[in-house]
Amino acid sequence: MKALQRLYVALILIFLYAPVAVMVMFSFNSAESVWIFEGFSLDWYKSLIFDEAMLTALEHTLIIAVLSALISTVLGTAAAVGINALQNKLAKKAIMTVTNIPMMNADIVTGISLMLLFVFIGKFLGLNESLGFITVLIAHITFNLPYVILSVLPKLKQTDSHLPEAALDLGCTPFKAFFKVVLPSISTGIATGMIMAFTLSLDDFVISYFTCGHYQTLPIVIYNMTKKTVTPDTYALSTIIFVSVFVLLVLYNALQSKTDKRRA
Amino acid sequence: METTKNIVELENISVSFDGEKILDALNLEIKDKEFITLLGPSGCGKTTTLRIIAGFLEQDEGDILFEGEKINGVPAYKRQVNTIFQRYALFPHLNVYENVAFGLRVKKLPEKEVRAKVEEMLALVNLTGFEKRKIDTLSGGQQQRVAIARAIANHPKVLLLDEPLAALDLKLRKDMQKELKRIQTQLGITFIFVTHDQEEALTMSDRVVVMDSGKIQQIGTPQDIYNEPKNAFVADFIGESNIVDGIMKKDFLVEFSGQSFQCLDKGFNQNEAVDVVVRPEDVDIVPFDKGMLTGVVTSVSFLGVHYEIIVDIGGFKWMIQTTDENFVGDKVGLYIEPDAIHIMKKSEYSGLYGDYSSYSEEMDHLSDIVEEE
Repeated sequence: MKALQRLYVALILIFLYAPVAVMVMFSFNSAESVWIFEGFSLDWYKSLIFDEAMLTALEHTLIIAVLSALISTVLGTAAAVGINALQNKLAKKAIMTVTNIPMMNADIVTGISLMLLFVFIGKFLGLNESLGFITVLIAHITFNLPYVILSVLPKLKQTDSHLPEAALDLGCTPFKAFFKVVLPSISTGIATGMIMAFTLSLDDFVISYFTCGHYQTLPIVIYNMTKKTVTPDTYALSTIIFVSVFVLLVLYNALQSKTDKRRA
Repeated sequence: METTKNIVELENISVSFDGEKILDALNLEIKDKEFITLLGPSGCGKTTTLRIIAGFLEQDEGDILFEGEKINGVPAYKRQVNTIFQRYALFPHLNVYENVAFGLRVKKLPEKEVRAKVEEMLALVNLTGFEKRKIDTLSGGQQQRVAIARAIANHPKVLLLDEPLAALDLKLRKDMQKELKRIQTQLGITFIFVTHDQEEALTMSDRVVVMDSGKIQQIGTPQDIYNEPKNAFVADFIGESNIVDGIMKKDFLVEFSGQSFQCLDKGFNQNEAVDVVVRPEDVDIVPFDKGMLTGVVTSVSFLGVHYEIIVDIGGFKWMIQTTDENFVGDKVGLYIEPDAIHIMKKSEYSGLYGDYSSYSEEMDHLSDIVEEE
C-alpha cells in the first residue's frame, strides 16, 4: 500500500514536471535539435541577452509587473480595510461577489471587454492609438486587485478589533492608529498579496494580448516568436520565467507559513 | 469620600443598536478618585456605558460631562481617559517596553522621559526586567500587568476597566483585585470598573452601580447594595436571596408565608404588597416545634464553611446556609430575627427571582461564564 502511494505521488510529479524538465534540459542543448541532446552550452541564453526585441519585452514586463503589483496592493489594501469595516452583512457579501467575478471570469472575456472599453474611450478622446502602456497597466491592476483583497482580508479579520481602539485610547488619530497598529498586523497579508499580483502580472498572456497594443510584454513576444519557428532561445527564456515564478511562489508560501506559526 | 467633586457625569444617556435600546436615559455621577463598579449581567449596558465614556461610541441622546465640561462628540484620542480592554489588546508586534511607551511616544516626549516613565510603570506592576519580552511569551497575568502599565503611563484622570480580570483563573484574579486596588489608591486615579462578578464588585469598589436592561437598578456602597437591595433583581444578583411575597401590616410588622414577623422597615402603606428578602445566612434552623416557619429539607450540599440546604415551606423553596448538619427529609423549624428581614417595594422584577425550586450548583456556575457583549 505504502509503495503504491509513493508510486502514485511520483507519477503525479512526473506528469506535472516532466514537460518543464525537458524544456529546461533542452535550453542548455548546444544543438538546435529537440530530440538529441548534443552537449551542454549557454549559447541560447547568450543569444537572448543580445536579442534587442526580447530585452525590450522583458523591460516592459517588469515595469508592468512592478507598477501593477504596487498600485493594486495599495488599492486592494484600502479596499479590504473598507470591506472589513462594513457593518451591513448583505452589502459586504455583495461587494465580495463583485470583487470575485473578475477572478472567475474567463481571461479572454476580461481581455476582450477591456480592449473594447479602451478603444471606445480612445476614440472618444480622439487618440490615434488607444492601446499601449497605460491600458495594459490598468488591465493588470484590474485582474490583480481581487487577489490582493483576498489575501489582506483574512489578516484584517484575525486582527483584534480592539487594537485600533487601544491606539486611539492612547492618543493616536484614526489615521495614525491604522499605520502604527493595524498595518503591522496585516503586513504579511499585504506582502503575499503583492507577490501574488507580481507573479500573475509577470506571466499573463491573454489579457495583455488584447490590451497592450505596441507595448508588448514577454509572453506576447514569445508567442509571436513561436509563430515562425520554435528555437531553443524560447526554451531559455521560458526557463528563466519558470525559475522566477518558482522562487516567488516559494517566498509566498514561506511568508504564509511564518504567519501561521505566529498564530499557533 | 473626602471629595465630592464629580469628574464624569452622564445625563440622560440613551443608545440603541438596530432599534434595540441598550441604554435607557441613564444618569450617573462619578466622583473624583473613587473606585466605582458597573455591575450587571451581560447585555445590561455596562460595557456600552464604558465605551461612551471612552469615546468609542456616540450616544443617541444625552450629555456626557468631564470635569463639568460637555465632551459630546470629542474623539477618543482627545479624552483624558484610558482603557484596559477585556482581552488587553496589547500590540503584538511591539515588545513590553514599546507597548508601555506607546502613548508617551504619541505625545512625542523626549526619549529620556519615556525611559524613566516606562521603568516607573513596570516597577509599579512588578514587571521590571520584562522590557524586551515579546507579548506572546507572557502569561495571562503578565499581559494584564502590561495592559495596566500601558494605560496608566499616560496619567489619565480616569481609568476605564472592561472586565479586565475575566480571563484570569480564580487565584490570580484575587491577587490582581488587590493589586488594582493598591494601584488605584497609590496613584489617586478614578477607576470605572465593569464586571459581571458580584463578589469582585463588592470587594473592590467604593460604590457599585447595579445595571440591568440598560437602566441603573441601584447605586450605593457595597454594604448598601447587599443589605438594602432596592428590588428583586438587585437582591438576587448580589449574593443569594430568598424573596417571598409579603404584606406590610403596619410599620415594623410584615406578613409572609402565612405568618407575621417583626421587622425594622417602615414607611409603607397599610396592607401594601411588598417583596420580602431574607438572606440564606440570616436564617436559623431550630427544632420543628420551635420554628416561626416549618418545612422539609429537600436538598443538602456541603460547601466547606457551611451547608447549603433547600427547605420546602408550603411549596416555596428557601435556601438556608447553616453549619449544622441536616438530612434530606428532615422536618425543621426556621427562626428569623427582625433585622434579617428586608422589605422592598414591588417592581417589574417581582416574582421573577428568589425561589430555589430549580436551583442547582451547576446552573449557578454556568451563569458565571463570561459572554461576549
